[in-house]
Amino acid sequence: MIELAPRHKFGLPIASPVMPAAGAFGYGDTYHDLVDLRVLGALVTNPVSLNPREAARGQRIAIHGEHNAGCGFVAHTGLPNPGVQRVLRQQRQIWERLPIPVIVHLIATTPSETARAAERLSGVPNVVGLELGLIDSITVQRALNLLAAAQAEGDLPVIVRVPFGSVDALAPRLAEGGADALTLTAPPRAVLPASAVPEDEAPRHYLRGRLYSPALLPLLLNILARWCSKLPIPVIACGGIASLPDAIACLELGATAIQIDALLWRDPAILQQIAEGLAKFDTSTISE
Amino acid sequence: MVKQQDAVFRQAYPAPPYWVARFDLPHPPGPGGFVLADLGGPLREALFPAAIDANGFAAMLPPRHAATRLLPGATVNMLGPLGQGFRLGDATRLLLVAEAAFLPPLLPLLEAVPAVALVIEAPTRAQLPPPDRFPPAVELTLVTCDGSAGYLGPLESTDPAPANLERVTPRLVELIAWAECACFACASDRYPALAALVRAARIQPAPDFAQALVQVPMPCGVGACEVCRINTRAGEKHACTDGPVFDIARTFAPSL
Repeated sequence: MIELAPRHKFGLPIASPVMPAAGAFGYGDTYHDLVDLRVLGALVTNPVSLNPREAARGQRIAIHGEHNAGCGFVAHTGLPNPGVQRVLRQQRQIWERLPIPVIVHLIATTPSETARAAERLSGVPNVVGLELGLIDSITVQRALNLLAAAQAEGDLPVIVRVPFGSVDALAPRLAEGGADALTLTAPPRAVLPASAVPEDEAPRHYLRGRLYSPALLPLLLNILARWCSKLPIPVIACGGIASLPDAIACLELGATAIQIDALLWRDPAILQQIAEGLAKFDTSTISE
Repeated sequence: MVKQQDAVFRQAYPAPPYWVARFDLPHPPGPGGFVLADLGGPLREALFPAAIDANGFAAMLPPRHAATRLLPGATVNMLGPLGQGFRLGDATRLLLVAEAAFLPPLLPLLEAVPAVALVIEAPTRAQLPPPDRFPPAVELTLVTCDGSAGYLGPLESTDPAPANLERVTPRLVELIAWAECACFACASDRYPALAALVRAARIQPAPDFAQALVQVPMPCGVGACEVCRINTRAGEKHACTDGPVFDIARTFAPSL
């Protein structure tokens, strides 16, 4: 077993280092026709907030390059979700029946809301951990307050998903502040033209959102190389991982586990391929 | 059950203003359903069938679409069939209404029932498909928004028409009253106004009397990504799994 929360009283053991990233895989068994969940370490849910959130208005996705020929895309969904109570009503029984543990990704807004959501998720069968999602412009103190709030009202291990541009500022402080693990990183913010081809004389629109691309992998590896050995807690690598060699590189650079993000929409089977590949791969050869 | 299937690309040829791309596929989607094709880009692309047979389907795509650059015999991985397609029931009189750019997914329905009326709207004459492309039995109504051919659009407009032009809206209301089932394929933001038109022609339309195909980006196809959420009278729905075909009156009509 792989331990994602060695400092926590209950721990967070998972059988495989491969997980879907928050926002990529739904809340429960959405992909059950296409992915054998048993090969995964855990299900990381779509983002959940205390109160319901509606989807962003207007266009929500923009692809780099003309006719889908580019290397990535920007998505801005607004993190729509029905709120923690309704998610629990809809998913509790599904989560209980899943063959893998569930990590709920919590949208950390204010300390009080975070605490109330964490309290409601505490004790839910098969929910073994929380992953806190932070806004990109967050300060160190606010991140620590949100972490403390999540830990104060619940007894679940708390993983913090660190914004792409804030790793240097946040990662060491969150580790000192009691985070059980860190997910490095949330996708970076980016802007793309809303349409690849300009339309007549109309002013061109641009979409601001999160960037998903295999081209992020070298940036992720740079972050892992810089931080994994310095942090006293497990690191979960996320961003641009699209193949077994990518996953192996992340583990070799010190990550304890990996998350596959929106790149799995193109090839859901990649989760299973990477998990099965890593199971055959001799992880003992990975240097400490 | 959603599955990954390997399709074989057969050919692509121009059929202005579209290109036709033909695929062999063991389990093709039905009318209004779709597959997500891996064409090499960062996301799969939704392909709606414009023609379906026992061996596969043909999609009608914009010129220079990635599928038109495939080599015959190429294997294309497809996810699907996906979505809830059109439900015609026992209808014998079918009305099809489309903007020209959104028309292809309605084409498999042209000969689905004995009597079909087709209304196509385009900004101008050059963007209308040639009338001789449709079966002779189909009653065709052409609409242009600049009045360059056929009736004057847009479909839902009630503004008075200039002299020498005839507004399409009364004709559309007549056809809705005539039909036993109506299928729409337009930009999603037009559906509330079109739903109001359906309500004007039919006081209490039966469930699924009028259906609307929502064509928005659907990256995952299974309801995981939240990109394809649409606003409906019953709250937000996923176009990919709850649709992409919706009951227009119950989904988009303004509250009474």
